[in-house]
Amino acid sequence: MQTNIPMNAPVPVRRKAGVRERKALFYGLLFTAPAVLGFILFTAGPMIASFVLSLTDYNVFKESVSFIGFDNYARLFSGQDESFYRSLGVTFYFVVLRVPACIIISFIIALLLNMNIKARALFRTIIYLPSIVPAVASAMIWMWLLNPDLGLINMMLKWLHLPTSDWIFSEKSVIPSIVLTTLWGIGGTVIIFLAGLSGIPKQYYEAVDVDGGGWYHKLRHITIPMVTPTIFFNAVMTIISSFQVFNEAYILTQGGPNDKSLFFVFYLWRTAFRDTEMGYASALAWVLFVIILAFTFLVFRSSKSWVHYEGGGPS
Amino acid sequence: MIKKHRKPLTAAIAFLLTAGLLLSACTWSEESGGPAAGSADKGGTQAAAGEQIKLRLTLWGAPNEIAVNKKVIARFEAEHPNVKVELQQIPTDYDTKLTTMVAGNDEPDVAMMESATIAFPLAEQGKFLNLQEFLDKDPEIKADSLVPNITYSSEPGNIIGIAPGPESFTLFYNEDAFKEAGLTPPPSKVTEAWTWEQFVDTAKKLTLDNKGRNADDPNFDPKNIKQYGVNPGNWWGAYSSFIFSNGGDFVSPDGKTFALNQPEAVEALQNIADLINKYHVAPSPLQAKNIPATNVALQTRKVAMVIDGQWNTSTLAESKVHFNVGVLPVMKKPATTVVCAMFSIFKSTKHPQESWELLKALIDPDASIEMLTYGTWMPSLKDWYTDDALLSKWAVNQPSRPSGYKDAVIDVVLNHSHATPTGYVKNFNKIMDIVNPAMDNVWLGKTTAKEAMDSIAAKAQAQVQGRRDVK
Amino acid sequence: MRESRLKLGAGYVALGVISLLFIIPFIWLIRSSLMDLSQIFVMPPEWIPHPFHWDNYKRALTSLPFGTYFVNTLVIVASVLIGTVLTSTISAFGFSRIRWKGRDAVFAVLLSSMMLPGAVTLIPSFLGWKELGFYDTYYPLIVPSFFGGGIFNIFLLRQFYMGIPKDFDEAAVVDGAGYFQIYWRIILPLSRSAVIVVALFTFLGTWNDFMGPLIYLKSDSRFTLALGLQMFQGSYSAQWDLLMAASAVVILPCVVIFLLGQRYFLEGITLTGLKG
Repeated sequence: MQTNIPMNAPVPVRRKAGVRERKALFYGLLFTAPAVLGFILFTAGPMIASFVLSLTDYNVFKESVSFIGFDNYARLFSGQDESFYRSLGVTFYFVVLRVPACIIISFIIALLLNMNIKARALFRTIIYLPSIVPAVASAMIWMWLLNPDLGLINMMLKWLHLPTSDWIFSEKSVIPSIVLTTLWGIGGTVIIFLAGLSGIPKQYYEAVDVDGGGWYHKLRHITIPMVTPTIFFNAVMTIISSFQVFNEAYILTQGGPNDKSLFFVFYLWRTAFRDTEMGYASALAWVLFVIILAFTFLVFRSSKSWVHYEGGGPS
Repeated sequence: MIKKHRKPLTAAIAFLLTAGLLLSACTWSEESGGPAAGSADKGGTQAAAGEQIKLRLTLWGAPNEIAVNKKVIARFEAEHPNVKVELQQIPTDYDTKLTTMVAGNDEPDVAMMESATIAFPLAEQGKFLNLQEFLDKDPEIKADSLVPNITYSSEPGNIIGIAPGPESFTLFYNEDAFKEAGLTPPPSKVTEAWTWEQFVDTAKKLTLDNKGRNADDPNFDPKNIKQYGVNPGNWWGAYSSFIFSNGGDFVSPDGKTFALNQPEAVEALQNIADLINKYHVAPSPLQAKNIPATNVALQTRKVAMVIDGQWNTSTLAESKVHFNVGVLPVMKKPATTVVCAMFSIFKSTKHPQESWELLKALIDPDASIEMLTYGTWMPSLKDWYTDDALLSKWAVNQPSRPSGYKDAVIDVVLNHSHATPTGYVKNFNKIMDIVNPAMDNVWLGKTTAKEAMDSIAAKAQAQVQGRRDVK
Repeated sequence: MRESRLKLGAGYVALGVISLLFIIPFIWLIRSSLMDLSQIFVMPPEWIPHPFHWDNYKRALTSLPFGTYFVNTLVIVASVLIGTVLTSTISAFGFSRIRWKGRDAVFAVLLSSMMLPGAVTLIPSFLGWKELGFYDTYYPLIVPSFFGGGIFNIFLLRQFYMGIPKDFDEAAVVDGAGYFQIYWRIILPLSRSAVIVVALFTFLGTWNDFMGPLIYLKSDSRFTLALGLQMFQGSYSAQWDLLMAASAVVILPCVVIFLLGQRYFLEGITLTGLKG
């Protein structure tokens, strides 16, 4: 704990700071040791390995591997590989649509589920259900619902005299349609928002009541600011996961129609496991890594101006 | 308040910890001791007579297919008491898992392989044994005991895999639909096969809109079709038969040139596209993706005819629909593509001879008789197609084998079958990565087949790397 | 919090509509699980099976050793839960409540591990575990959970910890508490809802994970429920009726756990109680 420093010791402040810092460092490392060790043992190795592989012509089945420097990267940036830029474009489009949609809709649903409604346990479970239905079953259901002729969704739209869509079967609407199907799985994001909302002390709302403020005032001045750490978390996570969208292409569209849903990680996986070009696929992976890192960094940077930590932020 | 929360929390953690440890201790020790067990029984020494040998077989399949394979293994082990077969079922992502195993030097002895994916990349790195040598020496079966087009070679003379049986494409139809329309059903004999024009004509008469008008009717409403004349399928498996029938191919005979833009192939592709967009007798890709499995499509009369693989005979029989099979319409000459997965033997096996025996057992029609009568599979050996006694075991008086089967399927497989392009076109996948998006537009009626293939010919040509069946 | 009748009513309606949309997959799953294979994909769809094929459940559960799979899954999930809850809460504390040099940089490096697509680290990871002799064991699936349990959880908890006012820490320090006591007596109880969320996600994620077991396991006596579900897919078509029945059974515990666990999001912190 605190060391006993004699009153007339020379330069007391500097020594105190040094000791406390060392103690903090020690405990900091101690507490985070599991995670850091885990990273070193289980993650760093494969990550470094994949980077090294990206500098080779590694084909899983070949006996020999040769170092080819940055040839893989040259190849993908040069435009020789059309699928590279195409899949990047497709993925960007998806991210731009999905991240805001997911965050906003999850937040609204969480607000609804946080109200004092009697059956909210039931509602919460129902909303989380699609996230745990096995992916195989989900895919079949979507193909079915989105059938342009007889699917439930178009039938409902027809009934409401609204225009129908070709959904995932048309080049123009395939990405928005896929964004729509992913919205089903927002149960997790909603839960996290709920946990965040539950941490807002009731006194704050009561104070607004006393002052005569309404729901809008509460939302704008209490709820949203208090929940910014959660919004921040969900934003970062949604960005990271949206860039790596894969299942929808793998199960539903196989990248079509006309390569318009050729998501980057789907293309990468195809290169790695169908074409067995693991070295090139690793290069693709690291390009995506840098892109995601850049975006995440931007969000972190911006967080200082809009995220409010009740606890004052990181210690 | 803090203290109150602590007790239940601690108690909960303690309980979980104990429960977890107990459970793990029990189960881990049961399964022949944790970490080392897995690697311990791999590998053995040379197969000395009477010594216990272990073979590893990987496959995929639904429980009913696996059940049949397990019976095959049981019979095999009974006949070869010194051999034990460890069946490793890989339920999903087969290629990913197998690739990982190969990377980790954990290859099985015998593995099921798919020609469209990693079979040839593995073969090109010399990972498989050449089965030609085994066929040459084997007393029971020879290369020509096998039905045509069920062996896969990475180059002439180097057989890398043999299929347990072929699968071919044929014309399924709903007999009731034909009766009600008063039309003669498709012929089953190759000699009587329809021409493409006859085929289209019949399809038109069988395409009904929601008011019962067929496609010949001037008031026909193509936006409200209740029953399609035919679903021809729009993947290479389905349309390749017609490309071959018209004298075309995916690459030139010497393997050096891309050939889907040649007149024969273009004409075949355009003919199929016209079914959708010109004559409105076939569903567009939008609708086709949602036409349920062939058996349901025919049962619910969503389509009157379907061009699909013979494996559908099993589910059609189960659906109790009055179905039959006809021979595919002929453009210039009769042809059907044969597709199938294969069994291969890894070169790293320590017991090549026993692995070969296992492979033979797996492709032995007698062992898989249930799947043959059920309808999903066809036999691998030629005499099962020609010898009456053998035919009666799987193709006569079976609900899955209707009256047209012998002529439309058996005869065609024997005499007019064509190898699958995945088997002989090198770099097939990368070529099709370019062809498929272009074909998407052809099926949608946005471009003609000629325009589409011409536009991608140069890019596709860049991916052509030759053929496996020419030296 | 008292809300006006109107607001509550509107809330009910909104949630009702949304729930209808969200429950469709589940209903489709259940109705398909009770249907004959030929009925499942009929268009237009039929929502009531006739007849009800209750035997789908029996057939599905007996066609594969689901009892074994269940026990296996329990073992893995229980172990992973313990490891994750313990080590992620501790690590998150270190990243948010202690100021030490290089902390944010280290956190950034750990976070970056989520940004590299797993497809390219699959084989190196597999080879690593195999070299250690742990192929076909549960170690690759369980051990990492005792080392932080994943940066997702750590990040989540960090965010929650940062929302807890520092006054508590400072008061405890004055009382002579060390970092560990702060963690144990203050932070952990106050972040209960976040910890429950972590536990819930961990349970659900591990219960339904098939990729990990697929890659690291060999003997089918060690397979898990999620992997068993995948087995209904055949070469040409899946046995949908059995797959749906089996899926319904497999997700049942998840639904129950969720129903029980979600109650804990209700409770928030009331500051007055703690300050006193």
